[in-house]
Amino acid sequence: MASETIDVERRRDGVVPFHRLPVDRETLAGAGTVLPVIVLYFIIAILPVSFAVYASLYEIPLLNPNWEFVGLANYTEVLTIDRFWGSLWTGVVYMVGSTLFQLAVGLWLALVLNRITRFQKVLTAVIFTAYLIPTIIVALVSLFMFDEFVGVFHIVGSEWLGLWAPNNFAIGSKEWAMPLLILIGSWKFAVFITIFALAQLRAIPSRFYEAAKVCGANKWQMFRDITLPRIQGVILVAVLLRSIFMFNKFDIIWIITQGGPGFATTTLPILAYREAFVGGNYGLGNAMAVVMFVFLAMGAIAYFKLFNPSEEVETST
Amino acid sequence: MSTKDGTSGVFGLEFGTEDRLFRIGLGISGVIMFVVGVFPIYWMAQSSFKTRQAILNSASPLPGPESFTLSNYAILTNSDVSLYVINTGIVTLGTIILVVIVSLIAGYGLARFDFPHKENFARFLLFGYMFSPIVLGLPLYLIWKQLGLLNTRIGLIVALTAISMPFSVWLMWKYIQTIPRSMEESAWVVGASRWRGFRDVVIPQSQPAIIAAALFAFALAWNDFTFAQILLPRNEATTFAPGVFRLITQGYDTSWADIMAVSMMMTVPPMLFAYFLQSYLLKGFQIRSL
Repeated sequence: MASETIDVERRRDGVVPFHRLPVDRETLAGAGTVLPVIVLYFIIAILPVSFAVYASLYEIPLLNPNWEFVGLANYTEVLTIDRFWGSLWTGVVYMVGSTLFQLAVGLWLALVLNRITRFQKVLTAVIFTAYLIPTIIVALVSLFMFDEFVGVFHIVGSEWLGLWAPNNFAIGSKEWAMPLLILIGSWKFAVFITIFALAQLRAIPSRFYEAAKVCGANKWQMFRDITLPRIQGVILVAVLLRSIFMFNKFDIIWIITQGGPGFATTTLPILAYREAFVGGNYGLGNAMAVVMFVFLAMGAIAYFKLFNPSEEVETST
Repeated sequence: MSTKDGTSGVFGLEFGTEDRLFRIGLGISGVIMFVVGVFPIYWMAQSSFKTRQAILNSASPLPGPESFTLSNYAILTNSDVSLYVINTGIVTLGTIILVVIVSLIAGYGLARFDFPHKENFARFLLFGYMFSPIVLGLPLYLIWKQLGLLNTRIGLIVALTAISMPFSVWLMWKYIQTIPRSMEESAWVVGASRWRGFRDVVIPQSQPAIIAAALFAFALAWNDFTFAQILLPRNEATTFAPGVFRLITQGYDTSWADIMAVSMMMTVPPMLFAYFLQSYLLKGFQIRSL
């Protein structure tokens, strides 16, 4: 018997002597399928982060190949310049403001899209388009619409509502730059919360609501006892991801204000980019990237506290 | 709580009144959403058909008979801009293909093979959500420079594929779990190899997940500014977003009308996908915690 099975295995295994390896064929094949993902993560994440830690210990003028070892000097510089703490604060304001606004708007959008009966497909398409439109276009169109000479929102804001002076470029003013940036970003990114919540809402069987109706529950009670428990988990995760993404947002801020006016909208990513590529101090920029990565890692810990992967997928088959 | 007499609606309203108020609120919300969602796109579209002078003269809601023009769309024949658009197309297509292939294989392996540390791999995978283009892009710049990948489309494709991994692999993993194993087994019984079973049974079955993953990859690649700005500094290699941004900041002879025309062109594919593929997008997100 025993010799027969070995014989069969030998024939099946062909060139690679699987029965002699410490791992079995199944494990090897399984690991092989996820290998590309691991390689990608290695090139795009593990390698750059390690490199950033290494580069942050050097003084690196961008156009000069000579690196000068400075130890932790970049970090002490990062932590002692007030621009860093100012940017951190600006970033937190931007993150909290955006996330709360997006949560409120996104949830509202999802609830309406879920219940509306007429034009549902068109309306959903309109909302989803906002999410799929490239950030650059959102940014350019808003720059155009707030332009102090030709912009339609500029005219509405200055002549109709009197929010700012007729010759004042609202995005370029200290008091309006941040609120407008949050508003413009939320036009696109609130839909992220909507998609998460809507996917979940669609999965609630309608018999739940019918049963509640028979029992005489009103709309608010239905929302509180059926809808909310079903979507609160996913909302928590969406909000956490959204805050992390907004804290690290670079593109829309850079295109619209480049961190200005002054440092009014300079968040950490903007500061890091500016130091590295405009200021030409690549080492310092990397030190900031490492600091941001530490914030991200904290976000990741919170994420894993909220969410256990084995509840979602069968991790052991 | 009195339910029989019908006065236990919100704010003690009757159910009939409550229902009517609810419908009115829904209708008003729908109108507001539609206006806010469509207005910027409408403004972009109508401005793209105006002459430069008409845009400078006044902010009118529609181009007049004498200010209507199609000449703004000539910017698409501008060699720089057409190059940017082509580059974006290639990068997007490359990203979609790579994402679908890698995530299908990984999703299949995770759902069907038994190997240790799957849970750790799941965590590792989800950690990808913390990948921020700006944090990774800064160090990647010099790494890509060393490897000769700076200013190459493949460098950008690899970077974009990696950051869409957590979503797409997770999606495939979950989706392939819902395909009954017995379907594959019956293929094996008639002599199909593991690969044949994967190709002829699993791939056709996971079509909705493939479309969702492709759509997500499209959104990411079509949208990308940060990675392209850092990793493609040379003008000939760059994609649409940093390219157009460069045109504007360098005071090139581009007017708002031109920019609106080219923006409009880049908005058409997202609009079509949002209309025709919305159910796939939702299906992709149905998974609880991406």
